[in-house]
Amino acid sequence: MSAARIDEATLRRSVMVASPLAVLLAWQVLSAARVFPPEVLVSPQAVLAAFGQLTASGELARHLGESLQRLLWGFSIGSGAGLLFGLAAALSPTFARLFDPLFQALRQVPVLAFIPLLILLFGIDEVFKIVIIAKAAFFPTALSTLDGVRGVPKAWFEVARIYRTPLPSLVWRVLIPATVPAVLSGVRLSLTRAWLVLVAAELIVADSGIGQMMEMGRQMFRLDVVMVGVVVCGVIGFALDRGFVLLQARLLRWRAQPAGAAA
Amino acid sequence: MNIDSRAVVRTPEQPALRSGALQLKEVRKRFLFDQRELTVLTGLNLDVHPGEFLSIVGPSGCGKSTLLRLIAGLDDDYEGHIALDGSRVAGTSLERGLVFQDHRLFPWMTLEQNVAFALIRRDMSAAARDRLVREHIALVGLSGFEQAYPHQLSGGMSQRAAIARALVNEPKVLLLDEPFGALDALTRVHLQTELQRIWMSQGSTMIMITHDVDEALYLGDRVAVMQAHPGRIAHIVDVDLPHPRDRAAPLLHRLKDDILAELTATDAPRSEAVVPLTRRRSG
Repeated sequence: MSAARIDEATLRRSVMVASPLAVLLAWQVLSAARVFPPEVLVSPQAVLAAFGQLTASGELARHLGESLQRLLWGFSIGSGAGLLFGLAAALSPTFARLFDPLFQALRQVPVLAFIPLLILLFGIDEVFKIVIIAKAAFFPTALSTLDGVRGVPKAWFEVARIYRTPLPSLVWRVLIPATVPAVLSGVRLSLTRAWLVLVAAELIVADSGIGQMMEMGRQMFRLDVVMVGVVVCGVIGFALDRGFVLLQARLLRWRAQPAGAAA
Repeated sequence: MNIDSRAVVRTPEQPALRSGALQLKEVRKRFLFDQRELTVLTGLNLDVHPGEFLSIVGPSGCGKSTLLRLIAGLDDDYEGHIALDGSRVAGTSLERGLVFQDHRLFPWMTLEQNVAFALIRRDMSAAARDRLVREHIALVGLSGFEQAYPHQLSGGMSQRAAIARALVNEPKVLLLDEPFGALDALTRVHLQTELQRIWMSQGSTMIMITHDVDEALYLGDRVAVMQAHPGRIAHIVDVDLPHPRDRAAPLLHRLKDDILAELTATDAPRSEAVVPLTRRRSG
């Protein structure tokens, strides 16, 4: 009986890898059939070889390290500022009125549209990249914090009043736990956005990082290197998101969860 | 088992049960609604005896819940006088517990943490706190579920937990705002019996709002019947039966018929209640 259950779990896990495998197979078939010139549609084997090379030379690790460091800074600053902004806007109507139009307008401008201006202001150094990642990470967290804090039911404040809860306990034991679910889903979105924008920014201007590695590969017509970048971007982004979901499940384990969903 | 002996103990001679007297004098509550003044409660006089179980029934919109919020101190903006044991009610107090219709347990806290949250203002050792929490969880029959989160509890269990949280401070008065209104009929009957047992084992005065006349009569030493537009107490029915009670008692059925007749007879002023609406439209 337990064996049957394990089989079911393995089955479910194998379904999860089915779609990546199908893409890999299609890629292999297409490149073997020479539908496109091999220099354009490089074969999976060539990509794997390039991956081996880049790993052995330490080049990939260096680029990835640079990128992740930028991500960490930009994401921390951006979502941290978003958290503070969301809190302030939720708690102070004056603050909300003051900044809402600017906030809404800036939110609608694609991050990449700021690149020319930011290059003029900050050059193409680290500051520029961190600013642009922070901008991308800021808005989802700010919005979800704002909604999360505003959405705390009045009913819970009444319970706190009945027991004459002091302010610090009200904040730590009621307000924060009540808003954590909403905030976390915003932070998750921030993390994804930050990673996407980081790679895009590095593609445009950078002297290092995973995006720059891909851009150099393109310029030198090394599409195997470009493809290594594509796959690494996908895997890292996926891993970041998965990791965050696990953290979320851990922090919110008090919530009703479908059986077996908790990791 | 010890229910009967408790019933004997609960006599007015018992000095320990002497606190918990609530007095309401000419209480009036008005809301500003749509720039119009709406009188929700008027000329409300009520003396609740220490240790008494008072039920309040009335049609929806008669201001029952508003009245309870005033007594709880969640709303301080009223005219008249509300006093507990002689001191005027101002703001919330641990002397006045409140059980809401929805259990309002914090979903991120275990049952134990939820009950202990009520003791947040109490200066006591961790051991004393744990003991109080454990005792009150046992009182409502939830021992063994201390570590459960609210989503793991049924509606009836959650409401028991809410009662434990409200009682853990040993309030002089426990206010219950339609505590079983959201439960299914069977669970409700079961919890009514439980509440009777709990009340008999505690010293608290209890005031329960309900729209269920059976429930009001089964539990109440007295039943205050309210009327709407504006909300007021029409009269108070004495339920002269010792606790624990038998639901089949003929007196309860007779009184139920009387109260229901009265509540349905108040249908007449309902047409009057429509008047402000039309007036608002023309004005």
